[in-house]
Amino acid sequence: MHISFLIHNAYGIGGTIRTTYNLANTLAEQHDVEIVSVFRHRDAPVFTPDPRIRLRHLVDIRKDSPGYEGDSEAYRTPATVFPSAEGRYGQYSALTDERIAAHLGSLDADVVVGTRPGLNVHVARQTRRGVLRVGQEHLTLDSHSRELKLQLRSVYPRLDVLTTTTEADARAYRKRMRLPGVHVQAVPNPVPAPAVEPADGSHKWVVAAGRLAPVKRYDLLIRAFDKVRRERPDWRLRIYGGGKQKDKLRRLIDDLGLYNHVFLMGPAHPIEPEWAKGSIAAVSSSLESFGMTIVEAMRCGLPVVATDCPHGPGEIIDNGVDGRLVEVGNPDAIAGGLLELINDDALRRRMASAALKDSERFDPARIAERYETMFGGMLQRDGSLGGRMRGSMHRARGVLLSGAYAVRDVGRTAPTKGRLA
Amino acid sequence: MTAVSTRDTLGTDEARAAGQGPDQPQPPRADCIADSAGGLTFDITDPGGEGAAHLLLHLRDSEPAVEVRLPLTPAADGRLRAALPSSVELAEGRWNAYAEVDGEEPRRLVPGLNDLRSLVDRVPSGSRGHVFVRIPYVTKQGNLSVRAWTRAPHAEAGELDIAADGLTAHGRVYGTELGSRARVEAVFRTGPERVVRADVTARGPEFTFRLPYADLADGHGPWDLWLLPDGDEGPRVRLARLLDDVADKKPIFTYPVTALTAGTGRVEAGPYYTADNDLSVMVRQASG
Repeated sequence: MHISFLIHNAYGIGGTIRTTYNLANTLAEQHDVEIVSVFRHRDAPVFTPDPRIRLRHLVDIRKDSPGYEGDSEAYRTPATVFPSAEGRYGQYSALTDERIAAHLGSLDADVVVGTRPGLNVHVARQTRRGVLRVGQEHLTLDSHSRELKLQLRSVYPRLDVLTTTTEADARAYRKRMRLPGVHVQAVPNPVPAPAVEPADGSHKWVVAAGRLAPVKRYDLLIRAFDKVRRERPDWRLRIYGGGKQKDKLRRLIDDLGLYNHVFLMGPAHPIEPEWAKGSIAAVSSSLESFGMTIVEAMRCGLPVVATDCPHGPGEIIDNGVDGRLVEVGNPDAIAGGLLELINDDALRRRMASAALKDSERFDPARIAERYETMFGGMLQRDGSLGGRMRGSMHRARGVLLSGAYAVRDVGRTAPTKGRLA
Repeated sequence: MTAVSTRDTLGTDEARAAGQGPDQPQPPRADCIADSAGGLTFDITDPGGEGAAHLLLHLRDSEPAVEVRLPLTPAADGRLRAALPSSVELAEGRWNAYAEVDGEEPRRLVPGLNDLRSLVDRVPSGSRGHVFVRIPYVTKQGNLSVRAWTRAPHAEAGELDIAADGLTAHGRVYGTELGSRARVEAVFRTGPERVVRADVTARGPEFTFRLPYADLADGHGPWDLWLLPDGDEGPRVRLARLLDDVADKKPIFTYPVTALTAGTGRVEAGPYYTADNDLSVMVRQASG
């Protein structure tokens, strides 16, 4: 198959970019894969794609580049195709409308994958006939504004496939966005095996990681840890990440006298070696559209104590088996979950080993197979697409299903910029 | 994902246009693993070249240059490996890391994965009278460096309890013993003749002392804390927090500031870690 990804900016850093590379790199083992980036703001991408992947851009916004287009009239003219209620609308323009339209209208591929709502709209409206139109939603329907939902509702029926990261979100799209004929399917984000050995469970540290943003509710986690340290003063908590809540959380730590037990570590890239220093991971969020950090921690051999918030945690954690789900918004419940694992070494180790095993289902090889099976099925079923397979279906015939992709033993997505000690 | 050099992905023409051509190979990348004894192992991508390769550590701002060269030998996975055993002494400071191939300019290493889990909550033996600490870290420019401390003996600061009137600190000595005359001195940095003494309670290698802020309130500025494990007879040991994986303690190990009224008016006092991870107390005029 020829598979073409359309992404906002493949040269930057961020969850969607990392996820797209993890998926594209794995698909490239069996298929022709290209990543088309609407924007290019730097010479080299932060994440390194597989050398078999073709990476190109549509609009050059490198100021020092001879191809710089940021001064053109069209670049300053507002977009009309890209939906105005989309969060990134301000960065799109008549120039992006035109370039994306030209790209999609002449696309030589079997499958095109949009990676955010605005690009899914382009894919739905402008893709040449005969190409399977796939839209990915990395956020959730809930998180879209009413205006954006309305704009998407009129266009998304023209997609062939819409993917969400959770079953809960897939149900929401099926129920609330009339999408007749659109195949709506949940496919979790891929998370590679870490390049470090899993945690051995001997360190008396709880680890959390994420932006210091209100939605993460680290205030609750810190309050929960006040209760933990009263019972188990030998255990401590590290919170990795940066963000606007830092000063507020710092004050809370000081007010509760937790400065010997709770530490704000700042951002860490890559995060895997930091998970490996802990024995339990904690997630206190009020909302997780997927729950990438939960999977990352599990792949490093940590059982996760997580609030049972919408949408991801309950679909990732097998409660009581490879982690613990606790009530949302309740510090006592978080403390209870943590203490359960802290006070029972055997249970913690059992859950840790289950977490390692259960999180293999998020390996890029397994996720790529799910996409491949879905794409293949849709293309065969839907003769009406009028498409033809380009060349052979696969680079190597007969390796379509299980085991076709090498399970990665190296999860390096190390950025070269923006890393902090 | 496997780390692959970027130039392969851009297509030759575009790469040249972007100044990323094959003439500018990627800098060698080092993964670094620490062992609990304080030794480090570096695994680096092959820097190319024909000559013998070394890992070069250069002490920053040293004149004449202070350098340590460790042989790089082929490892099983096609990379090169160098070991910095815990027995090799590195002067205290920041050491920049390079790959050096004979006959070529050394090339700065960029960091890969730093696996420092063995350094977390480290308890060295101290049996040889010293503690060596080396923590790899990523510089502001994104390069790999190693911070090193050599303390003989060493006084590790642990939990600090902040009360309304002062600070109670817990610590542990390495490479020496605590005698009956052990005490702590707070030395006013800009006027070292001003010294405030505090008694030390010892239990084995562990010690506790209490420092009332009122005693420091007249000296606005930093007070540096020293342990005298055997009173005037023995060494003076700067209190520091070194035995973990955190290269720069200052922004992470922070403590509440206490306001108090002293002879000179309202002041604020609180402990902090210096840029060298030594423990001090800052006293300043209360704001507002």
